[in-house]
Amino acid sequence: MTLPRCLTALSCLLALAWPAHAQQPAATPSAGAAIVSEQLTVSDPFLEMRTGPGRGYPVLFVVARGQSVVVELRHTDWYKLRAEGGQLGWVHRRQLETTLTAAGSSKTFRDMALDDYLARRVQMGAAWGRFESEPMLKLYASYKLSDTLSVEGDLGQVQGVFSGTNFWHVALHSEPWSDQRLSPFFGVGVGQFKNFPNQSLVGATNTDAKLAHAIVGARYHLSERFVLRADWAIYTAFVSDQRSTEYRAVTAGVSFFF
Amino acid sequence: MNTTLSLCAAAIFLLAGTAALAQQVIVPEVERREVKLPKFPSKDIAVGLFAGTYATQNFGAAAVVGARLGYHITEDWFVEATLGQSKVSDEAFRQVLPGGIFTDPKEKLSYYEFSAGYNLLPGEVFPSAKRAKATAIYLVAGVGSTKFNQQRSQTIAFGLGGRLLLTERAAVQFDLRDHVFSLDLLGKRQSTHNLELTGGFTYYF
Repeated sequence: MTLPRCLTALSCLLALAWPAHAQQPAATPSAGAAIVSEQLTVSDPFLEMRTGPGRGYPVLFVVARGQSVVVELRHTDWYKLRAEGGQLGWVHRRQLETTLTAAGSSKTFRDMALDDYLARRVQMGAAWGRFESEPMLKLYASYKLSDTLSVEGDLGQVQGVFSGTNFWHVALHSEPWSDQRLSPFFGVGVGQFKNFPNQSLVGATNTDAKLAHAIVGARYHLSERFVLRADWAIYTAFVSDQRSTEYRAVTAGVSFFF
Repeated sequence: MNTTLSLCAAAIFLLAGTAALAQQVIVPEVERREVKLPKFPSKDIAVGLFAGTYATQNFGAAAVVGARLGYHITEDWFVEATLGQSKVSDEAFRQVLPGGIFTDPKEKLSYYEFSAGYNLLPGEVFPSAKRAKATAIYLVAGVGSTKFNQQRSQTIAFGLGGRLLLTERAAVQFDLRDHVFSLDLLGKRQSTHNLELTGGFTYYF
C-alpha cells in the first residue's frame, strides 16, 4: 500500500517547509521595504484593515488615500497589508481595485481576476456521475496549450455492486469558444481500465484493457476561480483482440483554475 | 479654384512640418518600462496530518491516521483530499463465532476522499487580553473510496470540523465525519455508517 509512503513523503515535506517559513516573519519588514514593486499607493478614499481574512472580522485600522501600504501575504481574496505606521490588517481585493502598484501599472486587482480566467492554463476538478448505471467518480487536470486546444488527464473509478473499475485516460480537447462564459468542448482520448470483481464473488477474474473515448461537454465560468462542467462520453474498451465493449457515461462536476 | 486652395493648404502643412522639426531640439528617448505585476506570497494550500478514532458500524472502533491536502479557493469554500488508514479487528465476532469474519484477526481499512468544505462560522477566540486567534467551523461533504477486506466500495462522507490558526501559517483542527459505504461481509449487502473523529495539525503555504 502506498499510504505509509505518502505519509512519510508528506511529513518530510512538512519538515522541509516549516523552518523555511518559520524564519520568514523576522525577515519580512526589511525585505518588504526593499521590494518596491509590492508597495502600493492607496487611491481609494480609504482602505479598511480587518483583523482577519474574512468579511466578518472587525475593522481595526483605516488607511487614507495617498498613503502607501505593503502587501505581506495573500489568502484567497484577502491581502494582508502593512501600513506606513506598521499596522497590520487584511483588506479585500475589491477595496484594492483602483489601488495602483508603485510601478504605475494600470492593472487593477479586478482586472487581474478577469485576466486570470482568460489566461487560465491549469485547471483541476472533480466530477461525479453515472457510468452506464453505476456511480462514477473522476478527477481531472487539464493544461491549455493554446486558446482552443488543451490536454487533459483523468483518473477515475466506477464502483459497482459486483465489481469495481479503475481507469485513467489522456485526451485532447478542443474548446472553440474558450473565452466565453459558457463554452462547449469536444475531445478524444485513450487510456486503460482495470476491472476487479468483489472478493465475495467466486471464480471471477480481473480484466485489464485499453480504452478509447470521445467526449462532448460544456464549461460554465461560475465566478472567480470556479468552473462548472458537464459532459457525456462514450467509451470503447478493447477487452480482447476480437471483442470490444461500449459504455456511455455522463458526469457533472466543478473545477477551479490557477 | 479648388485646386489652388488645396495646393495652398498642402504648402502650409509642409511649412508647419519643417518648422516643427526645426523646433524639436531634443529627441525624446522614451524607454519602455517593463511593468511586472507583483507576485504576492500566499497561503492557499494546506497540508496536514491527523490521527484519531474510526468507528466501523459492525466491527468496533480503532485508531486511524491520515493526511490531508487542501486548497482554499475563496474565503468561504475550500477543497480537500484526505487519505486515512486504520486496522479493524473482528474480535467481538471471534468470541462467539470461531474463525471470525475476516481471514486475519485484523483487517486493514483505508480510504481516500475528495471533499468540498464551507466555512460556516468563521470567528476569533481570545486566549488572553492581548491575543486573538482566527477560527472557523466548517461543513464538509465528499466522495471517495474505501478499501476494506480486499473490497473497494464507493464512499460518501459528510461532517463538520473546526480549525484554530495558531500562527498565520499553522493551525490545529478537528474533524468529525460520517463515511457511508455498503458492505456485504455479514451475509447481506447493507449501507453502513462509520464515524470518524480526528484531530490534527495543518500547515498553510
